[in-house]
Amino acid sequence: MTTTLNRPAASSHSAPKRALIERLNIFTALALGVISAVVIWRLALQFLPQDSEEAIFFNREDKITLLSMIAWFIGFMTGIGALIGPFRWLMGKDLSHDENMFYAGKDMGVKRYFRYTTDHKVVGIQYLVVTVVLFFIGGVLAMLIRTNLGNPEGGWIHPQAYNAIVGTHGIIMIVATIIMITGPFGNFIMPIMIGARDMAFPRLNALSLWLVVAAAAPILWGLAIGGIATGWTAYNPLASQAPLGQNGYIMFICIFAISTMVAGANITTTVIRMRAKGMTWNRTPIFIYGVVASVALALPAFPVFFLSQIMSAMDRAVGTSFYDARHGGSGWLYENLFWLMGHPEVYVILLPAVAALMEMAPVFTRNPLFSFNIAVMGIAGISGLSALVWAHHMYMSGWAPLLNIPFMLTTELISIPTGMLFLVLIGTLWRGRLWVTMPMASVFALLWNFMIGGVTGIYLSDIPADAFLHGSMYVTAHFHYTLMGAGLTGAIASLVYWFPKMTGRIFDAKLSWISFWMVQIGFQIAFMGMFIVGLAGQPRRVEGYAETFNTGNMVTTGGAYLIMSGMLVLLYALIYSWRNGEKASTNPWHSKTLEWTVANPIPLENFDVLPTLTTDAYGYGKEIR
Amino acid sequence: MSVDKSGVRQTTWWKKKDVKQTALIWIILTPILGYFSTEVQVRSMGAPASEIMASTINLMRIFTWTAAPVASLVFAMAGTILLSKSFYGNTPPPEVEVGYTNSPRANALWVVVSAVLCLFALVVGMVAVQRDSATLTDATAMEIKVTGQQWVWSYDYTDGSGVRSEVLYLPVNKPVVFHVTSVDVKHSFWIVQMGIKIDANPGYITETAVTPNKIGVFDVRCAELCGLLHAYMQNKVHVVSQADYDAWIKAQAKLEAATA
Amino acid sequence: MAKRLVGAIATVAAGALFIAGLGIYVASAKNDDTLLKASAAGTMITPKGTMPHFTLAIQVYPDSMSGSKGPDGGAHPGWVAYGPSTNFEVPANSAITITVTNYDGGESLNNDFFGKIRGTIDGTATLNGKKITSVPADAVGHTFTVHGMANGQDELFFSVPMRAVPEEAMPEEGYTKTPNVTVFTIITGDVGEYIWNCEYPCGDGTIAKFGNAMSTMSYMSGHFNVVKA
Repeated sequence: MTTTLNRPAASSHSAPKRALIERLNIFTALALGVISAVVIWRLALQFLPQDSEEAIFFNREDKITLLSMIAWFIGFMTGIGALIGPFRWLMGKDLSHDENMFYAGKDMGVKRYFRYTTDHKVVGIQYLVVTVVLFFIGGVLAMLIRTNLGNPEGGWIHPQAYNAIVGTHGIIMIVATIIMITGPFGNFIMPIMIGARDMAFPRLNALSLWLVVAAAAPILWGLAIGGIATGWTAYNPLASQAPLGQNGYIMFICIFAISTMVAGANITTTVIRMRAKGMTWNRTPIFIYGVVASVALALPAFPVFFLSQIMSAMDRAVGTSFYDARHGGSGWLYENLFWLMGHPEVYVILLPAVAALMEMAPVFTRNPLFSFNIAVMGIAGISGLSALVWAHHMYMSGWAPLLNIPFMLTTELISIPTGMLFLVLIGTLWRGRLWVTMPMASVFALLWNFMIGGVTGIYLSDIPADAFLHGSMYVTAHFHYTLMGAGLTGAIASLVYWFPKMTGRIFDAKLSWISFWMVQIGFQIAFMGMFIVGLAGQPRRVEGYAETFNTGNMVTTGGAYLIMSGMLVLLYALIYSWRNGEKASTNPWHSKTLEWTVANPIPLENFDVLPTLTTDAYGYGKEIR
Repeated sequence: MSVDKSGVRQTTWWKKKDVKQTALIWIILTPILGYFSTEVQVRSMGAPASEIMASTINLMRIFTWTAAPVASLVFAMAGTILLSKSFYGNTPPPEVEVGYTNSPRANALWVVVSAVLCLFALVVGMVAVQRDSATLTDATAMEIKVTGQQWVWSYDYTDGSGVRSEVLYLPVNKPVVFHVTSVDVKHSFWIVQMGIKIDANPGYITETAVTPNKIGVFDVRCAELCGLLHAYMQNKVHVVSQADYDAWIKAQAKLEAATA
Repeated sequence: MAKRLVGAIATVAAGALFIAGLGIYVASAKNDDTLLKASAAGTMITPKGTMPHFTLAIQVYPDSMSGSKGPDGGAHPGWVAYGPSTNFEVPANSAITITVTNYDGGESLNNDFFGKIRGTIDGTATLNGKKITSVPADAVGHTFTVHGMANGQDELFFSVPMRAVPEEAMPEEGYTKTPNVTVFTIITGDVGEYIWNCEYPCGDGTIAKFGNAMSTMSYMSGHFNVVKA
């Protein structure tokens, strides 16, 4: 395989080819995907045998749906050009240097964003767009949920549609929060931050992005064929009983799992092997640790999730009974497999956000990062322990009552490394020179939100309290505080912070502040209200509730509308700043990490000469102790 | 006062202005935070209808009051930082005079205190679990079979009366063990005001137990999404005196027999 | 600054409108927006004294062509549907006599709790004129089970199984000429909103046979509201 990763960037002129590579883009992908799906659907409808009258389970429609979704997937990935690299390699005619440069978007202009481009900066921007779209869809669904629940007369939206909306909102947001920092910033910023020219596997980089795009179609398609009746956790056996839309969920997860594993392999290899000379582990910025820990957790976790969905698909489409107790299976098997992924996954979401804010704190206090070693230990501790706590989601399931206490122990223990992260943040802020910017304010918002999220997590980790709180809105409020109050806050701050490097423009400060306050205040109102109705006994995932919960729900809905407005202001600010924002200098924040040494527009291979480091990036202060 | 390496006189750390400010905010904030968080939570949970629920509410109190100083400390330090001189504008403020990259004492203290608090939470929780599960092994407890079905709970009294009902009647102060199962998908049997919950799994029987100690009407809700009408899978628990319960059971048994 | 503010407000407004539009679309996608109200029928002497009396007539069809979905049966013509509507409205504090005509067959219940008549005025119903207190668990066609959240409203629960039309009597086309007619009376409490669904699983091919039609509103589930008289 030819690469140019360690040579100085050459300015070669390649004669434009009229090859297939040149013509493939998102539109060919969509077209090929849709055509494949329709063709396979017609064929399956025609040729698949009917379900026999005596069959216990009817599988035909599931088979048809799954086959056409798989056809969509293959068609889409072929149409975007994902197979070209492997195909050429198999033919023995691997891509030449010029073709690789073409693939990397050299001299292509705006078209490179619509193609299977391997340049990590292009992939980063593409991830940003995908993340924004996913958040938009998830957010719209959230507003439908809250509007329905805010009405004391009872659901406008009938139960089936409501359940489908809740489930789809959940899974789309989970995926969006997983990619929200690692996608745009892990891809665009990370290689430059470590002094590399690109990721270790540029083609896999493009693959991981386009897999997410391919995955989005089945979930939306699923909404149209009955939706997800099960909530984002897709518990079996309900998932087996659920309408056809469940196949959309299954495909979404299977494709996304592959994307995550690919991205994980790429990011870990890049960071381990391609850091600049002199960037020892001690001098590696803390953001890198957060991103690597996050994908390192995802790497073992997502295959398990993938497997759980394959088995669910088999139960639905082929008549196995992995999860059906009446025929030898068990719903607990699903719960274990799901939560084995489900718990590490929340740290996959959280770690990059906290690490990003730890990266920003020194810049905006002109103070070194407090205790880098503790920060690393905290991240490592959380990662390690997160693999040992999963059954705290199953305290009430009746699966293994004797194991409840050991899992309570491991879950309580996780608050120790979590506390270390608080120590690092507070220590960095302490006696610093506070530069008041929106990313800096986000650090404070994180401290508030994560504290509440963390403490309520401790309540939930306690078995007797969980006996009351499990399955109530308290749980929903808790995880929104951690994933949204901490996670999303970190992601939005990252957007504003790294915007000048990604686009060459400053993110409009005033609008970012307006959005910040609207979102944060709306958030407190919405989710404090939710804690209260949860404590009062309102279960989760209900489209109607007893009168006693009316006030709490109305308050929460009001808060939600404020969040919605704030996020829309952010969306506008994003578009406005991208098009008309003030042009940024190379290092507007006077930060000391490597990405700020490269001027915009960033050359294709980032650095003319790869840098050599002699210190870490936290050397703030006339004297450092 | 002490003299540091460069010969400059240094105030002892606890006399420094920002430390004193933090301490002050902390001392004021802790009781406010603790009281407010505890009261809101406890009031929302309502009156307990069993020893287990009373102990759970107490647990929330203990945890909240334990967490309050910790949260308060973080917020107090953040508050002091926010109250210190801030810089605005497009140019960064000058870098600090001395940048501290570590403080082994602060690290050790923080980790040790958080470990102690975790251990405390664990022990309190374990004690509560042991106490709450005592009723499960109570030989004098009455046994009721709970069946969850999409989307109705039904109860079988196994005391020989053959009574089956969709409303739960229980005598006050008598321990009861619930054997819970499902005939279709996963449900979760939750008696809200008594603070007990156990999932109803198809193909398995799970147990939970409680001793209701208050007469009144309480809620049973399904706490695990079980399909279309999960929100309506609710009914009531009537806790009555022993005499009233006996009367009810007799009447129900008669009805069952007459309409068999 | 003004231009940015206008742009921001416009984005918020556009977003809100989009959500409102989508919400209206989703809300109007009710599977069944018909309603059947109980008809007045004088008064009745009940164990609770003389009460206003109303009647409700419901049918259970083996397909969806005669219920609220119109003659073409809607999206799933082969699914069992209750008719003429799946949303019912009855007055509070009254005696309601409900007549259910069952044209469909059946098999075994998942839970024989629902084989018994529960919650009616005297624990009985009449089946084709004869008084019964239960239907054998293996001959149940459907049930009419009403329940709901009990907070802030009376606990209303009743469940009446409908005997299945035997296999032999089910014609190839159309409906049987000998449906099973079940009549029972219940007493409503105060105003409240309840749900009804069938507890006889006939969602063949799904877990516990409770999927498909069983889990779709407006076939074998709907609203049962007790309103002011």
